[in-house]
Amino acid sequence: MKKQTNQSDITIKKSIMDKIWRYFFLTVTLICSSVIIFIVLFILIKGLTPFIKSYHINGAFYKVDFIKFIFGSRWFKNPNIYGIGFIIVNTIYVTIISLLMAIPISILTALFIAKIAPKKISTILSYIIELLSSIPSVIYGMFGMGVVTKIVKALSNFFGYQSAGGLSVLTVAIVLAIMIIPTITMISVSSIQAVKKAYIEGSLALGASITQTNFKIVLSSAKNGIFSGVILGIGRALGEATAVSMVAGNPSSGPNFHPFEATKTLTSTMLQGLTEAEGLEYDIRFSVGIVLIMLILGSNLLLNLIKRRIKI
Amino acid sequence: MQVANNNLFKRLKKRKMKDSILNSITWIVSSFGFIVLITLFIFIFAKGSKTLSFDLLFSNYSKTTYSLEKTHNSLQLFTNPKLENTYFSNIWGISLQDDKDAEGLDVVTIAYIDENSPFNQLIEKNSGATIKIKVGSQISKIVLMKEDGKTIYTIAKKGASEMVECLNQAKIISDMIITTGGGGIRGSLLTTIYLIIITLIIAIPLGVGGAIYLNEYAKDNKFTTLIRTMIDMTSGIPSIIFGLVGAIIFIPIFNKVIHSSGGSIISGAFTMSIILLPIIIKTTEEALKAIPQDYRNASLALGASKIQTIFKVILPSALNGILTATLLSIGRIIGESAALIYAIGTAIKDKAILNEKSTTLAVHIWTLLEGDNPNYEHACAIAIVILLTVLLLSISIKIVSKCFNKEKNNAV
Repeated sequence: MKKQTNQSDITIKKSIMDKIWRYFFLTVTLICSSVIIFIVLFILIKGLTPFIKSYHINGAFYKVDFIKFIFGSRWFKNPNIYGIGFIIVNTIYVTIISLLMAIPISILTALFIAKIAPKKISTILSYIIELLSSIPSVIYGMFGMGVVTKIVKALSNFFGYQSAGGLSVLTVAIVLAIMIIPTITMISVSSIQAVKKAYIEGSLALGASITQTNFKIVLSSAKNGIFSGVILGIGRALGEATAVSMVAGNPSSGPNFHPFEATKTLTSTMLQGLTEAEGLEYDIRFSVGIVLIMLILGSNLLLNLIKRRIKI
Repeated sequence: MQVANNNLFKRLKKRKMKDSILNSITWIVSSFGFIVLITLFIFIFAKGSKTLSFDLLFSNYSKTTYSLEKTHNSLQLFTNPKLENTYFSNIWGISLQDDKDAEGLDVVTIAYIDENSPFNQLIEKNSGATIKIKVGSQISKIVLMKEDGKTIYTIAKKGASEMVECLNQAKIISDMIITTGGGGIRGSLLTTIYLIIITLIIAIPLGVGGAIYLNEYAKDNKFTTLIRTMIDMTSGIPSIIFGLVGAIIFIPIFNKVIHSSGGSIISGAFTMSIILLPIIIKTTEEALKAIPQDYRNASLALGASKIQTIFKVILPSALNGILTATLLSIGRIIGESAALIYAIGTAIKDKAILNEKSTTLAVHIWTLLEGDNPNYEHACAIAIVILLTVLLLSISIKIVSKCFNKEKNNAV
């Protein structure tokens, strides 16, 4: 009899322990997932302060006007003029140029790895792409400063144009392209590999050559996956900070569309000249951060909508 | 019939040409990744391999300055090693060289010291200790006393030739300011290691716990979908935004709790943790999913409770996933810069103190390159360290997954 009570005691204990652990795991999960809410909430609060509070700087009061902030074309620390209209335009422009370079290279590389290359070369190349994706952005930034700027400078001299030490739109776009190529390539490879064999065999049976099949059947069947890769690449390009700010040049006004002239993006603005940890000049970076989050989420949403609409 | 055949033949030929052009374009374009990697490695190793040494890894970033004196008695004259662009003092047995330091200022560095030179046994003025000066140290000022009691002096700005001339006139150094060392990365290396340890202690339990809940407990309902969406959204946010989060949430908290002022290693670790959570959750969950349902059923059927099953059966089987997550996290921490510029700061330190500002290796590179005189030699040396670590990590991840696959195949 006594033994039985013991047994049930243990069972009850077990079930209580089970419950405790279950709630523990739930709490942990809630912490992990609520991070995003905290991020958005806190940055919103801090980022909206410059439009509400007036800052006392050198005997004068400053308050940032929201409309002037969003559409402004100048960014000066002194005398506290902050407009990011041109920075938004620059960011989008640089991202588009880098995509124009990265997308063809990525798709062809992915096709090469998945279908064309001999097995050994394909293994090596896919490992190289993996390695490129794991190299930290600060090293790409250094590579951009030390190598890409010099190439761009030589190029601009060739066209008879004086660029500011190679810090230019083109340099930023090239560095960004190098950084997003691995992302797009890796996702494209897996979506190309997932193309049904029946499609390929059907195409070959109808008399198409292997190359025709690769370019017409395989790529168009893998479109969906490739597009997802591009969306991810855009997110990375918009949010990349360190490497971009090292090669951007950061002029105070714009926008600038000339490929050999310096540019200023949202992220480079946030990193540039970070010295003090308070005041308007610090808080305004959070406002830029809000714009950056909006831009990334917005572009993500828009592209996913397009993807669903045209059903590729 | 003949004409049709001819036509077909022509079209086939055209197609063949088109195909080979497309193919060769693919080959050429695909080599881009390879070319970039090779250029990157050549650039980094060419600039950094000379600077990289154990000395660099374990020495201080800040320089040590000595105030030294020496009386030279021997009459021996030293032979000139005839190094290029140097000036030799045959009385003191050293060669001096004009140089520029990291800030672009003129300095005089010691290029050669003879074995028997009195410079091997200089005496520090304050402590009286004998100090051996290394090649590469910088002399900023020398005051000499001639035999007749007159003093002469020269400073680095006047150049190496002037300094050698002065040295050759006298045999007593009454005061010499020498700066030696500096540029080491010990502090940043230590900070990186501390950051990795603390971040993993925070992030791995949270991430693994989250993965266990999502895979073992969560029902397939709207609430779970919401949680998953929120975690996915976190992984899409760029790291600089996390830096802002660190600056706005963690820095104020830890300023109160551990009395730090501004960024600290602790606030950096918390910031890194929230960056890593989605990665850890995802990787661990993949591993949990791969565990056969039979394992769980068998354990439960033997009378184990759910929690016993999780800790004794599921987690050991998912160890490879957790290990992969850990390795991925380490790689991410080593490479992260944008977030840490906000959360830890950019001040290079020689000691890693948990509640003070510091730099990790990646941020160290950023600080070295940001000024007007980018120091590529040191930055590339650090880059080599980072690259080798990243390479090692990626190989380890490959090995871990390979071992696991083997085990799995054996089990089946």
